[in-house]
Amino acid sequence: MSDLELSVAAKDTGQTRRLPAEWLWSAMLPIALVVLLLGFAAVDSRVLSPANLLNIAQQTSYLALFAMAQTVVILTRGFDLALGPTVSMVSVGTALAMAGATASGHDTTTVLLAGLGAGFGLGIACGLFNGVVIALLGVNPFVATLGSYNIAIGVATTLSAGRPVQGVPGTFSQIFYGGNIFGVPAAIAITVAIGIVLQLMLARTVFGRSLYIIGTNPRAAAVAGLPVKRILVLTYVLCSALAALGAIMMTARTGSGEPNLGGSLSLQAIAGAVVGGTSLAGGRGGVGTAVLGALFVTILSNGMNLTRIDGYVQMVVLGAIVIIGVLLDRLRLERRQ
Amino acid sequence: MSTALTATQPRTSTGSGRSIAGWIGLLPALLVALVAGMSAIDPQFYGIINILNILRNASFLAIVACGQALVIIAGGFDLSVGAVVALASVVTAKTMAAAAVAFPGNNALIIASGVAAGLGCGLLVGLVNGFCVAKLKVSGFVVTLGTMSATAGVGLMITSGIPVYGMPEAFVKGFGRAQVLGLPTAVYLALAVILVTMFAQRRTLFGRYVYAIGGNVDAAVVSGVSIQRHIVGTYVLSSVLAALAGILLTAQVGSGQASFGGDRMMLQSIAAAVIGGVSLRGGVGRVEIVAISALFLTILGNALNLLHIDSRLQPVFLGVIMVAAVALDELSRRRKSRV
Repeated sequence: MSDLELSVAAKDTGQTRRLPAEWLWSAMLPIALVVLLLGFAAVDSRVLSPANLLNIAQQTSYLALFAMAQTVVILTRGFDLALGPTVSMVSVGTALAMAGATASGHDTTTVLLAGLGAGFGLGIACGLFNGVVIALLGVNPFVATLGSYNIAIGVATTLSAGRPVQGVPGTFSQIFYGGNIFGVPAAIAITVAIGIVLQLMLARTVFGRSLYIIGTNPRAAAVAGLPVKRILVLTYVLCSALAALGAIMMTARTGSGEPNLGGSLSLQAIAGAVVGGTSLAGGRGGVGTAVLGALFVTILSNGMNLTRIDGYVQMVVLGAIVIIGVLLDRLRLERRQ
Repeated sequence: MSTALTATQPRTSTGSGRSIAGWIGLLPALLVALVAGMSAIDPQFYGIINILNILRNASFLAIVACGQALVIIAGGFDLSVGAVVALASVVTAKTMAAAAVAFPGNNALIIASGVAAGLGCGLLVGLVNGFCVAKLKVSGFVVTLGTMSATAGVGLMITSGIPVYGMPEAFVKGFGRAQVLGLPTAVYLALAVILVTMFAQRRTLFGRYVYAIGGNVDAAVVSGVSIQRHIVGTYVLSSVLAALAGILLTAQVGSGQASFGGDRMMLQSIAAAVIGGVSLRGGVGRVEIVAISALFLTILGNALNLLHIDSRLQPVFLGVIMVAAVALDELSRRRKSRV
């Protein structure tokens, strides 16, 4: 991944060789991750127990998926504030569809398909709305997704009457939460699979490459003949579809449709992406940065929980970490230039 | 981020200037239509209690939105205002409660120390925001996202989420719930804030420089504007005004609460600024229109309540109106620039 972003940056600035300390900057976050993990382990040895490591991996897989979704749009200089409410709306919609299909006596397969259809349908609708408003109407991504943020919250709480939606069939939870592929829990397996596909798409397809070009220089992308508007709409649809997948996995975990499931996920996903080194100025980042950032945020909160650091103090620490992460990234960029 | 963007994307200022002029006519028209429609449907709407209620709530929002507008005009963003409202509220209440124990009966001292502590919180958060954005060059979105989380955390930490009581009666009954010439004190303070900001925007170097920085940061640098100092200034003003709103809210409710403000106040302040014609690309926006749009948003919420529209459905209206307002503005700008 870093090769890719470097090649883009190199073309952009006319730079042809790497700076010697570049690998050190790239290795900084992984090193920080290990230091963090060992530091927490020194306070409480349970941090490194196999059960907790599996727990961290599982928790990370949800946030990583959302951070990937966010990264895709951030690459094009956008972001999706509505991601969290989209997750809530999809969760409620999926649960309602399945409860409804069960009540009208359909077999399990139909029920599951109804749930998935409703979930992805709502997610894609939300992405289409964002994409059309941003790309075709030219509204700033912040305002557009702040608008859909409110709309999705309203829809989610109205559909569910503000209460958890019961009636999610056990099979659904068994497949998307309890299930495993060669012993790997479903959530981790799905996220890894999606991560690989997304990475290939970003690195090897015309669509993927054009996201970097649009983010690096939108005007050049348009001059080069890229259908920028169509690509942007697709990008927001992809982002919301990934969010919908995450929402379906989280609904399987809780076993009910939750109107508050998304809560602060929008900002957490942005924080994860940004801490991992995705640039809000566009054109820099990828699956790797999203996963690293999500891992960092998850390990930090898991470690603080295990070492019994007050939840309110955790908010302060997370806030500071986000700022420091971006500051380091900026210093790294300055060095490179 | 936004400053970098505006630097690389110079805009056609004539087109947007005209579209804003279009908005100035449209927003009051919408406001009048809303008021007339509601008055026809529900006589409760123009009842004195409801009107005072609307004015009071609009004042809190307008004060916060004024600061937010200044930050956005300079090309930034302040996500931390909601958290500052909460922190200022609990710090003011805590300080007054402590001062009341230390100096019983000395109301002037108690109130002064509480208000100073609350505004001090705002000043501090604003300085941190401004320092990170202007000196360390971190994107305003990320910085204020960070300070939002940290500030909300501190507010909850101080109080453990429990409301803080123990403020002198003179502050609550004599100031927060008092009425002068039939209007709540918060309304006068909001008007003062709006008038001073209007004056600053038009007649002071600070105000002109804020437009210059948001309009074209490179041109502003070349013209010798001290960018860093003025960006810090906008963030400090935004946070101090948010703290002022927090103190007023505390005085009205009679307790300091970490649940005041929050995401809702932050989102609404941005919505008010944006619907009021402040361009997120920076350089464009007038605070009096922002105040009108704060009033519009407050009346809209009030109308939805009076019409018994499910409170859960209400965000949908806010979202649609926000997107529609900005989309219309964008479309009219395009048409104008094409002519």
